[in-house]
Amino acid sequence: MSGRRVIALFRRLTQEIRRDRPSLGILFVAPLLITGLVTFIVREGQAPKVDAVVVNQAGPSGVALTAGLDAALATNGGSATLAPDEATAAQQVADRDATLAIILPPDLVSAPSPTITILTNGLDPPGEAAQLAAASRALVAQAAHATGATPPSIEHRTVYGTPNNDPISGYAPALLAFFAYFFVYILTGVSFLRERTGGTLERLMATPVRRGEIVIGYTLGFGLFAVIQVALLTAWVFGSLTVPAVGPLPSFAIGLGIPIAGSPVLAFLVVIVLAIGAVSLGIFLSTFARTELQVIQFIPIVLVPQFLLSGVLFPLASLPAVLQPFSLVMPLTYAVNGLRQVLIRGADLGVGALQLDLLVLAAFAIAFATLAALTIRRDVA
Amino acid sequence: MAILSDAHPDSATDAPDAAIRATHLTKTFGALRAVDDVSFALPPGRIYGALGPNGSGKTTLIRLLTGLARPTSGGAEILGVSMPSRPILSRIGYMTQSDGVYPALTAGENVRFFAETYGVRDSAAVESALELVELADRARSLTAELSGGQRRRLSLACALVHSPQVLFLDEPTVGVDPLLRLQFWSHFKALADRGVTILVSSHVMDEADRCDELLFIRSGRIIARGSGADLRSRAATDDLEQAFLKLGGQTEVTR
Repeated sequence: MSGRRVIALFRRLTQEIRRDRPSLGILFVAPLLITGLVTFIVREGQAPKVDAVVVNQAGPSGVALTAGLDAALATNGGSATLAPDEATAAQQVADRDATLAIILPPDLVSAPSPTITILTNGLDPPGEAAQLAAASRALVAQAAHATGATPPSIEHRTVYGTPNNDPISGYAPALLAFFAYFFVYILTGVSFLRERTGGTLERLMATPVRRGEIVIGYTLGFGLFAVIQVALLTAWVFGSLTVPAVGPLPSFAIGLGIPIAGSPVLAFLVVIVLAIGAVSLGIFLSTFARTELQVIQFIPIVLVPQFLLSGVLFPLASLPAVLQPFSLVMPLTYAVNGLRQVLIRGADLGVGALQLDLLVLAAFAIAFATLAALTIRRDVA
Repeated sequence: MAILSDAHPDSATDAPDAAIRATHLTKTFGALRAVDDVSFALPPGRIYGALGPNGSGKTTLIRLLTGLARPTSGGAEILGVSMPSRPILSRIGYMTQSDGVYPALTAGENVRFFAETYGVRDSAAVESALELVELADRARSLTAELSGGQRRRLSLACALVHSPQVLFLDEPTVGVDPLLRLQFWSHFKALADRGVTILVSSHVMDEADRCDELLFIRSGRIIARGSGADLRSRAATDDLEQAFLKLGGQTEVTR
């Protein structure tokens, strides 16, 4: 054991890392960025804004309650308005014209413990939980004030899905979308970096190959593996294959069996469109990396914020106002939303909201592909 | 020291059917003039050696000639077509300084891939390119498992598979053992005899005599051009290395 040799090694490492600025940046800046972002989201998150429509079956005291509720919800920028009937109110909630519908029963005043029904959309379980809590608090306070009766109990229903869905349903989109996005990005990023550093891109550019052909070729190549990966993952997440008991082995199920209202094929489609975009993102970001390590280092900078702002962990509606625009320019947000449409609502291709999500994802894929094609000549020109 | 006179009088670019032509070709990177006002016209079917020390601008010159880099000013023409031109690329072969082959593919798969990028779908072309560099028996071997010299040969096969009319070889013999080097030069000679124009860059002066004509490059400029014998007699020395230093240090470069 020689202290000098140990010190020589120690010194060499510090010299190397000191000159690797991207690594230094990631090492010191990324943790600050991510912890800062999470803290900001949690601390500065908005109290949910609730626009309620009230179906009043309780006569004048219901009208009074609605007025009181309107004033209470207005403190967070929300409102409470009267709807003619339950069908209209449900439609408004379904269309997201209203955050939720409140149905006041005829026996609101007379019953010893009336039950008020609150109807939410159902497509954003974490977001709606916060909205429901806010509406319930205001409602119970106002009901006690308006009727003087015992506090009502709240019953929660949703337009799509059921409120007591398997809690994993809210996270299933993240499971599906994030992994495809993540691994396709790493595969392409590292692979294209090798192309740049190994001299093969230089040689390729001396052939009549077009930049667009390279991007499409990469998309097909890694797209194939993304298709296999996502197909496997979709089957695993939604499938539940019961294996019968054989001899001493008890029967068991393969697959997570997460309930899906729509077609698993559509869920697959949403994730594939997202993954195709990730191929081009990998090519694009490989321009800024010199080593494979640096490709990996982009994950905390580029991918983790997308995950935090995609609405999976923190509801979009309660993100701090300054962060809201960011969530709108991130593909993962649309993938999560589209998957929820399929999983919870059972949307088919005829549903406008799903069409929009798919279109936006496709637009991202095309935009990333264009950026990727532009960078291919950048270091060569 | 007096100012260097024009090392390439206009008569240097006169050849009407030049395979490779540079006209006041210049490329700067910030203050560095990597290629500095280079003009020449190289008639077809010969082997040209671009000789100069590391960092003298040889690779940048090749990248400008192949259209991979855009000149700051001036222009390049290959087979009469001004570069960059995508269609003409299928008539150019380029062996990069790094091997530029895919380690995870077999030797045969590498050659086939580059053949297809040139639009060559003929498997006979792949086989004959591998035979030419004597790698036919390693066609099924993974490139990562080949020796350094074998990878160099594979790299050459990838540059030859589409039977280019103009071949750029950037330091093709670096890290190549003497025997293989001899083989390489006999390949180049055979190709030139078939009418292929070859521009070889090298910093090894002892390879220079295998070229029909030499371009001495220093600091991005052509400091002298001529056959080995010609340059020796001009510098009044038997040693090309001496000739390079003498011609380079000379204030007037004569033709």
